[in-house]
Amino acid sequence: MSVTSDKRAPGVRISDLSVVYRTPAGELPAVRGIDLELVPGTITGVVGESGSGKSTLALSLLNAVQPPGRISAGSVEIDGLGDVVALGGDDLRRARGRHVGYVFQAAQSSLNPLKTVGKQLLDLGRSHDVEDLPGLVKEARSLLDRMGMDGARVLDSHQHELSGGMRQRVGIMLALVLNAHLVVLDEPTTALDMITQATILRIIREVHEERGLTTLVITHDLGVVAEVADRLAVMYGGRVVEQGPTREVLGDPRHPYTRGLLQAIPRLVGDIDEARALPGRPPTLGTIPADGCVFRERCAVRMDVCETGEPPVLTQGPRIVACHAADMGPEAVTEPAKERQTVTAGVGDTPTTGEEQA
Amino acid sequence: MITGKGITKTFRQRGGMLGGREVKALRGVDFTIEKGGAVSFIGESGCGKTTLGRILAGLESYDSGEIVIDGVPMSSLRQKSRQPHFRRIQLIHQDPYSALNPARTIHQALDAPLSLRAKQTGRSRAWMEERAEELLSLVGLDPGYVLPRYPHQLSGGMRQRVVIARALTVDPDMLVADEATSMIDVSLRLGILALLKDLRDRLGVSVLFITHDVATARYIGLDGELYVIYRGQVVERGPVETVIADPVHPYTQSLLSAIPVLHGLEVPGEERVVPTEAVDPSQQDAACLFAARCPFRTERCVSELPVLGHDGGTLQEHACFHPQRRSVVATPAVQL
Repeated sequence: MSVTSDKRAPGVRISDLSVVYRTPAGELPAVRGIDLELVPGTITGVVGESGSGKSTLALSLLNAVQPPGRISAGSVEIDGLGDVVALGGDDLRRARGRHVGYVFQAAQSSLNPLKTVGKQLLDLGRSHDVEDLPGLVKEARSLLDRMGMDGARVLDSHQHELSGGMRQRVGIMLALVLNAHLVVLDEPTTALDMITQATILRIIREVHEERGLTTLVITHDLGVVAEVADRLAVMYGGRVVEQGPTREVLGDPRHPYTRGLLQAIPRLVGDIDEARALPGRPPTLGTIPADGCVFRERCAVRMDVCETGEPPVLTQGPRIVACHAADMGPEAVTEPAKERQTVTAGVGDTPTTGEEQA
Repeated sequence: MITGKGITKTFRQRGGMLGGREVKALRGVDFTIEKGGAVSFIGESGCGKTTLGRILAGLESYDSGEIVIDGVPMSSLRQKSRQPHFRRIQLIHQDPYSALNPARTIHQALDAPLSLRAKQTGRSRAWMEERAEELLSLVGLDPGYVLPRYPHQLSGGMRQRVVIARALTVDPDMLVADEATSMIDVSLRLGILALLKDLRDRLGVSVLFITHDVATARYIGLDGELYVIYRGQVVERGPVETVIADPVHPYTQSLLSAIPVLHGLEVPGEERVVPTEAVDPSQQDAACLFAARCPFRTERCVSELPVLGHDGGTLQEHACFHPQRRSVVATPAVQL
């Protein structure tokens, strides 16, 4: 774990967060009752398949969930900023970029094709009332140089002149240049080649440590999380089903979904028949079960209680698992979650995580 | 059996005052794919692996070289008479979302190629219905559920299975799967891989698997061959397990080193190779193409072009002047 001495890295406490989307079938929860803490100076990886709610969770950190979605319950407390769910208007606009940097998925489509990177940087500076624009350019240049590029050349380039890996680094530069110390990276390496991916992951790790950041990485790829994250949260059907220190979770997964996901990854050595597909398919917004465990339909150790009972949130040291079948040993603290209302989920429901940081 | 000899392809970019830039997508590639066999092409984007797949599926022309399908050299045939041969090679795209017409039901999507097949073989409408159901069952779908539905009503994994079923309507000899699992959810990927493997066993279909993900290439067939392609040239080729466990080309080693290690579950290889960043591809041809990025390059590498061979007594073929085994692949630390 890399807790830096830099006091500026903010902590983030997401409490009982629920996000619903309005659909013809009523308001459906994309994210339900999430408790997650981002410890200052650490990298947290959130891993999930499509429809798991991981991107919605990331957008909630900026209070940027767009209609027909809305944050229906819970709070996102960021040190030095307060509860972003309560922020609005100009306060919120200023917080984005200054406090929270966001690196979007597919940086190629988030850059303006008509303007050079430098012009877009100046736009960013002006919209955030930066007075020292030459200083901003200098900072951008040194960030780009730091990431192994010719900063001056990149600032003079249009996005089509840059490779995928270079665009991704431009995205990281734009997220950091206003001196944000909380950075969210949404699928930072999707569509990149293996070697480029390895380079970007190394850069994320190094920049994180050098600048003293709190970083959240959202991905579908367990390998990406394994390479960069100190802590790992696994999402399924809008819930966090397991979280803990990355190495511990990967080495000894306790939720059947985490275990199944790891087994479904083909490996480079060993018996290939050990890799096994997870049966069934991930739920979509409309098919997430309203009651009971969201994973039960694909679960190998499913029991009767999983049909109706909300999985208990078990905590042991730094590890948390939400499963009826998880064996956390005698010291495990069982905290049965209260019955949740179906559609406008999680109202007035405060399962404690009692998370302790190592 | 399908063989290729010295396949080259150069793309010329239009525009520019001096006539544009040339991109050499393939620089004389040889390959052999046995009936029922499995061959994987791995490499980064832009290495030419997709171009090769498209050439085999008859969707792209090639500048020189020869493709021989079951003993018939394609150069001996006119354009029109080549088509039935290339039709026996079916391409499965990366993106099952755009490979199916959103305005047509799965029933309609399968109907078109099946009616062609029925016409060729003089079969009836009833045969088509039966065959559609048979093929969908073969790829692990419930025909009753899938047939009346539109693509958007199916998951990514189901759509990819439909695409595979559609490719099978023409009784192909070979499936070219181009990054066929990269857009599928992780928990469903293995199912598609297992299906391709199963089709090899049950139908004797050969599979050409094009990917940047080496581990999935291994899953398609341990008996298969792996071709590592860098900038249009095969730099290492041999049995899957040999190339993965004992790679000798620094590019192969770089690719394998870049695969994320599941720390906690795996221990990283001890000699991981990190290449320098990709450079401008306008480098002279009389040198190893990888030399500019290679941490182990010598004088010889920048003045001479290595060719594929068994130098150093390696089991696999490689195009490197200094072949050396390095332990780059992560090994399991614990058993799940």
